[in-house]
Amino acid sequence: MASRHAQPDKAGTGYLGSVAGLAQPIERNAKSNMRGSRARPWNRPAEPTCLHEPVTALAVCPTDASPTNPDLPSPPPTPRFHMSNPLVRKLEGFGLLSDADRAVLERISANAQLIGQRVDMIREGDTPDGVILIMEGIACRQKHRANGARQITAYLLPGDACDLDVALLTQMDHTITTLSACRVVRLPLDFVKRLTDEHPAIARSLRLSSLVDEATLREWLVNVGCRSAVERIAHLFCELLIRLQVVGFASEDSYEFPVTQLDLADTVGLSNVHVNRSLQELRRQGVIELKGRTLKILDVQRLKSIAEFNANYLHLGAWATA
Amino acid sequence: MTMKLQAVQIATGSNDRESRLVSEDGMLVAILVQLSGEHGALAGKWFLEVGFGPVKDIHAPLFDDLETAKVWISSRLADIASND
Repeated sequence: MASRHAQPDKAGTGYLGSVAGLAQPIERNAKSNMRGSRARPWNRPAEPTCLHEPVTALAVCPTDASPTNPDLPSPPPTPRFHMSNPLVRKLEGFGLLSDADRAVLERISANAQLIGQRVDMIREGDTPDGVILIMEGIACRQKHRANGARQITAYLLPGDACDLDVALLTQMDHTITTLSACRVVRLPLDFVKRLTDEHPAIARSLRLSSLVDEATLREWLVNVGCRSAVERIAHLFCELLIRLQVVGFASEDSYEFPVTQLDLADTVGLSNVHVNRSLQELRRQGVIELKGRTLKILDVQRLKSIAEFNANYLHLGAWATA
Repeated sequence: MTMKLQAVQIATGSNDRESRLVSEDGMLVAILVQLSGEHGALAGKWFLEVGFGPVKDIHAPLFDDLETAKVWISSRLADIASND
């Protein structure tokens, strides 16, 4: 019998490290994949309570408020933020933010909700009702064919905001699904409007982020249309290294990559067999190392050379030319 | 209709070399490659490296043996023939 035995959803062992390390790869099973990715609806988390406050009020973190002394002028608030917040890091990569901008971003992302892996956060055909912020983990945009085949069209990484202009649309034309467990925030559309109205620097950075999303989609189109199997994977690994470095989720050469071989195959438009061969080839050349869920790039320059990687489409200034 | 398999070695750029050219009535319709040990538990299965015409399918399953592969390829050819 033709074998269709492996179920991607069952696989704790299906990550690239185990595959490239000669453990059992996940075999494509388009139908089970479709069921798997659609079987678990997202129990939408409650919105953070701070979202019900005016946007401007969010700029001042209550924990930083000084005791009121009527005899002295109140010192200006000194919001306490740290640069580990991926949303702040991502948006600061596109332009200067004020302390108030950073503080409001810290506040709205403080109560991110944990969502399990392979959960649809919003599905094709649904009415959009908010902007999703990814704070941890990896999610994706994907489309399914009736026969179960799937194409992943974008990876959503920490700091990414999904569909800023989604309020203009009446229904989703694709599905957003978690690939790994994620921490996410959902911002109501009216809140996003107030946020961008009252914080023009944030609005500008979010707009730039959307433009980069479009540029990235173009680059992915080039990937599946013009590059070989090895080149496609090399290009994706280069892109993810930079995008994750920007938000503090990658070292100079390594990052967590909790994506199965099946996911990767559906990302780069290849069969599982060709993905596995390509990973083995990159390992044989001493370019990458996969251990568990960690991808270590042993030779970054070589990987960029294989992919003919040019990070200009990410529009990240110093990051892109590093 | 007569299906024939011819053993060949193919340079796939990997350790997957053992292959079969699959012909139907003298026409090449597919190339099957046996997966090597670098595919872990899937080693030994047959992969549709290339399918021509109605046999082309990037989502084709892996086959446990050549007989299973022949049945699958025949069904694809028969589907097209029945639609003619």
